[in-house]
Amino acid sequence: MFYVDLAISGIVFGCMYALMAVGLTLVYGMLRILHIAHAAVFALGAYVTVLVANASGSILIGFIAALIATPLCGVAIYRLLYQPLLHYRPDVPMIASIGLLVLMQDGFRILFGEQGVTFLKNPLAIETVDIAGITLNLAQIAVLIVTIIIFLALHLFTTQTRIGVAWRATVSNPRIAASFGVDAIRVRYLNFAIGSALAGVAGGLIALLNNFVDPTIGYVVSYKALAIIVLGGLGSVRGTLIASLFLGVIESYGTIFIGSYLNRDAIAFLALILILMARPQGFTGARTA
Amino acid sequence: MLRVEGLSCGYGAVRAASDVTFAVPERSILALLGPNGAGKTSTIMAIMGHVDVHAGRVLFDGEDVTRRRAVERARLGVALVPEGRQIFADLSVDENLTIGGYSFPADRDRDKRERVFALFPRLHERRAQLAGSMSGGEQQMLAIGRALMAEPRLLLVDELSLGLMPKMVDICIDALLKLREDGMAIVLVEQNTARALAIADEVCVLSSGNVVFAGTAHDAREDRELLTRFLGMTERRRA
Repeated sequence: MFYVDLAISGIVFGCMYALMAVGLTLVYGMLRILHIAHAAVFALGAYVTVLVANASGSILIGFIAALIATPLCGVAIYRLLYQPLLHYRPDVPMIASIGLLVLMQDGFRILFGEQGVTFLKNPLAIETVDIAGITLNLAQIAVLIVTIIIFLALHLFTTQTRIGVAWRATVSNPRIAASFGVDAIRVRYLNFAIGSALAGVAGGLIALLNNFVDPTIGYVVSYKALAIIVLGGLGSVRGTLIASLFLGVIESYGTIFIGSYLNRDAIAFLALILILMARPQGFTGARTA
Repeated sequence: MLRVEGLSCGYGAVRAASDVTFAVPERSILALLGPNGAGKTSTIMAIMGHVDVHAGRVLFDGEDVTRRRAVERARLGVALVPEGRQIFADLSVDENLTIGGYSFPADRDRDKRERVFALFPRLHERRAQLAGSMSGGEQQMLAIGRALMAEPRLLLVDELSLGLMPKMVDICIDALLKLREDGMAIVLVEQNTARALAIADEVCVLSSGNVVFAGTAHDAREDRELLTRFLGMTERRRA
């Protein structure tokens, strides 16, 4: 049962990576920008969840607040930072994005302190349940359920609604989509709003799992998310999901077998380097977006 | 339906076509011909709203749309069958058609879809398939079908026959003739000059961005110098 436990804890981490990385891959698919500042949106989601939950006494309200704050932040980043820079080479908005990440991380440090913040009350991280001999805490179960719901909803949205189909059409060919009345600017706002909301939820969930948020929370995740979207075949949501879960499980087993030599993040990057050496085009092979 | 008056257009400061004037009434086909790089695609894309207009006007139904965005022109009834087809490869046939009708209420989709499938039964067989996995001819049918979903009164067709098997070309040309009968105005850019001259009512010939001929298709077919000098037709091919 020990190995099953490990796999499940790996999948839980993989879910977090997936929620975080999907926003990145969506932005890349649409604008060909590496949206590094996405990690700061993720950190914002974590902070808002913890602080609002503590102030209101309800973790649910914390998540709702994060779901409001992060899409607004993402849309503002697009409107104020990327849109004026879209006419330049793609490395220009990317550098601006890195600058914004550093700025926001330091902002969190100044506003909320170097030591970070924790939930005053977090029963989810303590209470556990046994399912068929596997022990999970409620936070892990929440992560699994929320991730499944979100990806199902995303799938239904992009295949069953007109605006969702228009979104995919714009990723595929913005100019032609515009010829049929799909407003690319609106679709971009939608793209940033949804991607950022997912990162916000991921931030809240990781705060729940670790019961801790500090100003550097975004850094490591941002590097990992970048590697994941490359692994998933840039722009592909499905590839990103597969790569995220794969990386989570690798990390989980790695910490047991070579954890005394390398820490969790080092194992993840070692795995990424090896995989990308073997398959530089990523898992899915082609750019699907 | 469509009037183009002294249109000069291009990409940024680069001029692609100068002082182009023509008119396309409803129930007619205008063939826009000329060698590669003559400015045909730029002219079509300027009518759709994707290319910078440096001078002149584009009038649709008497209304000046020169400064309107492409998204707005789509709502007025202008639809594009673009060069190289440019169907949404990652979307299914049905989803491509959905985008075609995006400017109009969803409840009209069903009837329009049936009409497209009546015109191209092949698309009905393939409706759930990813568009990118179809043959060139099927993709061209889809590109036309997608444009028809936009309830066009003006259809802009850029390269109908390029890369298609002769049988597919026949199917696509028949479709255009049917649409003209229904009252549509059509601008057709076409490499296959003989086919284009055979079905067009009016002809406009561009060379290096300038109009070198504008008149009826009948006059164009009789103008030997035009045919050999600008349209690359030999006596044998005319026969």
